[in-house]
Amino acid sequence: MKSRMAGILAGLAALVVAAAIWLPCLHLVFTRPLSDFRQNQGLSPKARQLAARHLQLWTEPARREQELKKMRASNAEWDFMGRSYLVWSLANMALRDPASKPLYLRTMDQIIDETLRLEKQEGMYFFLMSYAKDRHYLAQPAHSLFLDGEIALMLASRRAIEGKPEYKPLLTERVNAIVERLQKSPRMLLESYPDECWMFDHCVALDAIKMADYLDGSDHSALIRGWIAMAKQKLVHHDSGLLVSSFTTDGTPLAGPEGSSIWMVAHSLQLLDEDFARDQYQRARKELGAITLGFGYAHEWPESWKGEANIDSGPIIPGFEISAGSSGMAFIGASTFNDDKFLTSLAATLDFAGFPSRTRGRLKYCASNQVGDAALLYAATLGPLWQKVKTGAKP
Amino acid sequence: MINLFWQKLAIFRRAEFLSARDLLQRALGISGLFLLAHLAGLREFTSVLNGTIGSVAAGWKLSGFLALIYILLYLAFVILVPVLVLAAMILAVWRRCVQKAENSRITSDANS
Repeated sequence: MKSRMAGILAGLAALVVAAAIWLPCLHLVFTRPLSDFRQNQGLSPKARQLAARHLQLWTEPARREQELKKMRASNAEWDFMGRSYLVWSLANMALRDPASKPLYLRTMDQIIDETLRLEKQEGMYFFLMSYAKDRHYLAQPAHSLFLDGEIALMLASRRAIEGKPEYKPLLTERVNAIVERLQKSPRMLLESYPDECWMFDHCVALDAIKMADYLDGSDHSALIRGWIAMAKQKLVHHDSGLLVSSFTTDGTPLAGPEGSSIWMVAHSLQLLDEDFARDQYQRARKELGAITLGFGYAHEWPESWKGEANIDSGPIIPGFEISAGSSGMAFIGASTFNDDKFLTSLAATLDFAGFPSRTRGRLKYCASNQVGDAALLYAATLGPLWQKVKTGAKP
Repeated sequence: MINLFWQKLAIFRRAEFLSARDLLQRALGISGLFLLAHLAGLREFTSVLNGTIGSVAAGWKLSGFLALIYILLYLAFVILVPVLVLAAMILAVWRRCVQKAENSRITSDANS
C-alpha cells in the first residue's frame, strides 16, 4: 500500500514537472518566421495559400454559395465585408505580384460587379443585419455609410491598380454623396444603421475620399482634417485615449473602445493622419494586446470599459478574456505598424487555435470563416496600396 | 489468438495507476480518439468559435456539440499528450536511477 502511494505521488510529481517543461515550449511548435505570414516584398507562403482558396471560391459558385450561406445565417454583414477585404487584398497583391495582376483584376471586377448588382437588386438591407429595419434612418433618403464607404474603397482600390472608365463615375458619385452628407450633418456623423454610426465605417469612407482625391485630382483634405479634429475632440474614450467604436448622430457614444474595431481604425487612419494612427495603435497594443507563453491575442475592451460579448467581439474566452474578433483584427494593426513581435505571436496563436486546413495549396482556418480569412489575407498583404497613394505614384 | 497477441504487447497490458506505462496508454488513447475525430471531419465544425454555424444542415446545437468534442480532443492531444509522454519518460529515468542506486548499495553491502 505504501509503495503504491509512493508510485502515485511519483507519477503526479512527474506530471507537474512535465507540464512545467512542456507548456512554456508549446508555442515553439506553432511559431514560424514572420516571413511565413508577411513579407516586405512579394507574397508570403500563407498569403498565397489563403488567396488560392479565396480565388477558388470566386471560380466555383456552388462552393461560394455554401460558404456565404453559413456566414449569412449569423450575420449578413460578413458576406459584404468578406468581399471588401478580398478586393482590398487583391489590390495589394497586384502591386506585390505584378505577374498575376490580370487574374487579380478580373476577380476584383467580378466581386465589385456582383456586389453592386446585389445592392441594386436586393436593396441595401441585403448586406445589413436585420435590426436595420427596426427603425427609420434619421437622415432621409436612407443610406448606410458601412456600404457606401466600403464600396467606394473597393472601386478606388481597383482603379488605383489600373484605370477602369466604367468605375470612375461610380466612385465619383458615391464619394460626392458621402461628402455632401458629411457636410450637411451637424456633427459630420453618418448612420450605418438607424441613428447608429461607426468609427470603422467613417475611417474607411474617409480613406475612399482620400483615394478619390489621389485618383481624380479632387481635394477634400480640409474635410478630412476637420473630421479627424472633431473625432479627437469628441469621440475619444477619456480613460484609454482610444477612439470609441459607435455613437449616435449627435455624437453620444453607444459603445466604448473595442478591439474588433480599433485595429482596423488605426490602419485606416494611417492613410489620413500617420501620427494619430500610430498613437491609436500604440494605445490599443497597450490596452488590448497580450502575449502569454509565446501566444499573442487581444481583448475586446480595455480594463476601463466593460462591455458585453456581441457579434463583432465573437465569444470571449474567460480567464484570459480573449476575443476572437479583436484577435483576428489585431493582425491588421500589427502588420500595418510593423509590430513584428506581436504579429509573430498572433500567427502562432492562429496556427495553434485557428485549426488550419490545407488542401492542394489552399489554406483556410476552420475556426474562422470567409470574412475572417479575407481579413487575415489583408493583414498578410497590406502596405503597397497605402504607400502608392501616400507617395502619389500614378496608377 | 488475436487477444493473446495484444496481451503480449507490453503497452496494452493493464498498468498501475500513474505508472510510466499507464501514462503512455492514456497518451495513446487520447491520440487515437483525436485521430478518429479528425478523420471524421469534425475540424470543420470549429467555425462555431467565431459565431459561424459549422453546417447549415446539422444546425447550431449539433454543430456546437461536435465542435466541443473536437476542440477538447485537440487540446488534449497538443497539451496533455506531450505532458503524459514527458512524464512517462521522467518516471522511467527516475526509476532507472533509483534501481541503479539500489543495485550499487546492495553491491557495496555485499562487498563489505
